[in-house]
Amino acid sequence: MYSADGSRPWTFYAFAAFFTLFVLFLYGPMTVIYILSFQGPQGGMTFPMNGISLHWFDALFSQTRVGDIAGSFQRSIGLAVAVALITVVLSVIAGLGFRRPFRGSAVAFYLAIASLIMPGLFVGLGIALTFRLLGLGTNWFTSGLGAQLTWTLPFGLLIMFAVLGRFNRSYEEAATDLGATSWQRLREVTLPMLLPGIIGVALFGFTLSYDEIARTALTAGSANTLPLEIWAMTTNVTSPALYAVGAVTTVVSFVVIIVALTSIAVVQRRRAAGARRATLISTE
Amino acid sequence: MVESNRSGEVEVLGVTKRFGETVAIKDLSLTIPHGSYCCLLGPSGCGKTTILRMIAGHENPTVGDIRIGGESVVGLPQVRRGTAMMFQSYALFPHRSVLDNVAFALKMRGAGLAERHAKARELLTKVQLENFADRLPAQLSGGQQQRVALARALITNPRVLLLDEPLSALDEYLRLRMRGELRRVQKELGITFIHVTHTQLEAIAVADTVVVMAHGHIEQAASARDIFIAPRNAYVARFVGGQNVLSGTVESAMNGTAAVAAENGARFAFPVGDIRPLRGSKLWGSIRRDRIALEKVPPGSKPAGGLNTIAGEVHTIENQGSYVKVTLELGHNEEFVANLLDETFFANPLDIGDRVVARWSASDIKLLDDGPMAHEPAPAQTAVANAG
Repeated sequence: MYSADGSRPWTFYAFAAFFTLFVLFLYGPMTVIYILSFQGPQGGMTFPMNGISLHWFDALFSQTRVGDIAGSFQRSIGLAVAVALITVVLSVIAGLGFRRPFRGSAVAFYLAIASLIMPGLFVGLGIALTFRLLGLGTNWFTSGLGAQLTWTLPFGLLIMFAVLGRFNRSYEEAATDLGATSWQRLREVTLPMLLPGIIGVALFGFTLSYDEIARTALTAGSANTLPLEIWAMTTNVTSPALYAVGAVTTVVSFVVIIVALTSIAVVQRRRAAGARRATLISTE
Repeated sequence: MVESNRSGEVEVLGVTKRFGETVAIKDLSLTIPHGSYCCLLGPSGCGKTTILRMIAGHENPTVGDIRIGGESVVGLPQVRRGTAMMFQSYALFPHRSVLDNVAFALKMRGAGLAERHAKARELLTKVQLENFADRLPAQLSGGQQQRVALARALITNPRVLLLDEPLSALDEYLRLRMRGELRRVQKELGITFIHVTHTQLEAIAVADTVVVMAHGHIEQAASARDIFIAPRNAYVARFVGGQNVLSGTVESAMNGTAAVAAENGARFAFPVGDIRPLRGSKLWGSIRRDRIALEKVPPGSKPAGGLNTIAGEVHTIENQGSYVKVTLELGHNEEFVANLLDETFFANPLDIGDRVVARWSASDIKLLDDGPMAHEPAPAQTAVANAG
């Protein structure tokens, strides 16, 4: 959208200015936290920097001082992996199942999706109360896991709907036509073709779980997940160790995303493997 | 697995197919002889693909039976039908090499790697793609993909090959080339080909038998030549093209000829054979576009009327190389087309807007069965003669 003289319209500058503010607002404060996490041992929670050290990262793992970071980190990773796996399996099955409309399929769909608009804190409260009423007690790997799944499964299902919406069924019919049983068809054609989308669902499930608070707060029981631990720290830890936690958890998030994107790239490269890179010389 | 020695005669017997409330196929019967090339031709939504999918086993008839080689195949899995299907967009598996695509059916049947790759290479050689075995489908051109799809479908030695719009994804040049190629492969293998298309000339170019469909029933099933020169009714004549449809009210009939008056005042002689149409009844006939002569009417003068003429104004002129297609506007949005030999046309060229009189010989008119209302059900029972 250029005007005749090549200059950009004013809307371009207005939006560019808004985008700049957005970037500053998002990354500015984060950057401050990362810098302050390298504060010297005598430094405080604000500038100026009093030397540079890894002191506060070290302090994270002395439990008495800042809380159970190492333990809560392990719990969060374990929980996120479990949530991601369960979300993938159930979303793929449900997504494939919803392709053929069945009696009540619309109702089932809306019932599943409704949990996205329910206030998370109350979903968690309800689950916690139910578990106590049943005498089960709340625990991060039982009630906590269930509460997180009420959040990740609808997302997983929606992603699968989008993925399957672009999936042409004639590939499956072709497989059937060529003699594949339904299992062979699933294994040899459907799942490999859906794999990038499935990795996306796993990534989503993992990250949603990894920083979930609302549903987890009342259902995790006595042992905190990492976000809960950090939340607790913000009220009673008054040292740059808090910033160090922020830096470490961000790194973990990035690692997860890089692993996921790399695996999608590997899938796609493996598909191209064996296929010669030579530029196509059409014979026609 | 080798089933090509079994008969590939396909019978569709009184089949009705409903999708919910919609009736896609109405009590349709059709016999396609073993080893013939049959085209199902019709506009989109006429049910031609549904028939193909029912023969393939991707749909089941609501009522009726489908037999291949004399045996009912309704409810049988694809593998036991001895059919193979080529899909409209080929549906080549994008994550598998060309070789693995072609070998897929053998892998599903539990064949070993060496065996299936050897057979797949053999088929790729047949379609001249042996050097592309390691490519992915996306790295091939449209025409090459089509040949891979053909090789993949043929690896199980099917007795019937079902082709769903096999040429629609190709550009004009390749489409013309590949249709000849399909016909050659069919002759070579001697198996039944059933080819769905909405392109008239494609059907006429490749098929032994053309089945013209509309609204879930058969309008005409006949040899490709008959479909073109002797359409049964106005629908087929108009859809297949190559014909003009004339109609009028019978004024008199004698000696196998009926005098017919059209609404616009023109008068035609229709050869009616043994039929003795009643006075006042309506008759429909067709006249081939290439059996028309055009005569320019000098400005100011009155067109010379007479039997078997029609007057109009030149609306469009399209040079087709060996002939020139001239479309006349008759008034009331009625069109009349004359295909003139190039020499004839350029000896006395016409211009858009010229007033002309079209003439033909009464013996070239073919009587049509019914009116232009193709929505009226035509008789469903249609046995296809083995075309030659």
